[in-house]
Amino acid sequence: MTQIKVGDSLPSVSLKYCPYDASLEHACGIPQNLDISSLKGKKVVIFGVPGAFTPTCNNQHLPEFRQKYDEFVKKGVDQIICLATTDAFVMDAWGKWTKTNDKIILAADGNGEFVTATGLVQDLTKIGFGAVRSKRFALIADDLKVTYVGVETASGVSVSGADAVLAAL
Amino acid sequence: MQQIKVGDTLPTVSLKYCPYDAELKNACGIPQVLSTDSFKGKKVVIFGVPGAFTPTCNNNHLPEYHEKYQDLAKKGVDQVVCISTADAFVMDAWGKWTNVSDKVIMAADGNGDFVKATGLVQDLTKVGMGAVRSKRFAMVVDDMKVVYVGVETQFGVSVSGAGAVLAKL
Repeated sequence: MTQIKVGDSLPSVSLKYCPYDASLEHACGIPQNLDISSLKGKKVVIFGVPGAFTPTCNNQHLPEFRQKYDEFVKKGVDQIICLATTDAFVMDAWGKWTKTNDKIILAADGNGEFVTATGLVQDLTKIGFGAVRSKRFALIADDLKVTYVGVETASGVSVSGADAVLAAL
Repeated sequence: MQQIKVGDTLPTVSLKYCPYDAELKNACGIPQVLSTDSFKGKKVVIFGVPGAFTPTCNNNHLPEYHEKYQDLAKKGVDQVVCISTADAFVMDAWGKWTNVSDKVIMAADGNGDFVKATGLVQDLTKVGMGAVRSKRFAMVVDDMKVVYVGVETQFGVSVSGAGAVLAKL
């Protein structure tokens, strides 16, 4: 699938997530569906990471979005969604581990449908991560239309980071 | 691949893991290779879970092995290894989350090589967990020869649990 670009519509796929519950300290309840179509009429930021709990994702990419959350809200963003091709339980645990899930929706693209449909999938078999992983990216979608896409081509966080997205809003 | 059975030789597969380090609180260092060849001459219990951080695995299957570790050691077990098809970072985080990594080796079968080679792979696409997941199982391997295999055929932990394995040792 060709890589999604500005002007495209988001694909109609379902992700899964564990709704934020401040009292549930240790595990997710029952994962819920997060339909991309439910983002209609909203301005959302979606950023993808190759792996939950991995160094760059854990120490930099995810925390930056959480730290700058209020700035995103000031610029009209309704939701910030972080996704990876793992399941909702791992994403939920990661959100708790990094203390980001009160503001960031940690969503699971467990079968890789979103990243496959948007051309943002990568094969990381050679490092033992399996064939269906997300590239590191960020996109802005306004009423389901993509208005910004930044996909990393090297290690680290630049065009997919919170600052780059804020600058594009 | 046919499901592994008693009398078979354990296949040579490389897993990955983050060596236990009491100091490293928040992330794994660099994942190391754990080859099944290293089990030669040892008595090893390997148990597989469909998903790290998922309810049964998290609350039931994994903790039992940690609790009964000394009982297993008394019966001559040299190592207890927990496997899933997640990557080493997720497995490391899960071991820290559940406080088991001082005793249980949390190993990553990230490309599913081990579960495929042993016929213990299952497709969980229909619950959003992708096509390459481990079944819930336990096996006892003595100098690379399989002496016990217990594979669950329904929810819950019975033949793959620490109690069942202890009874067989």
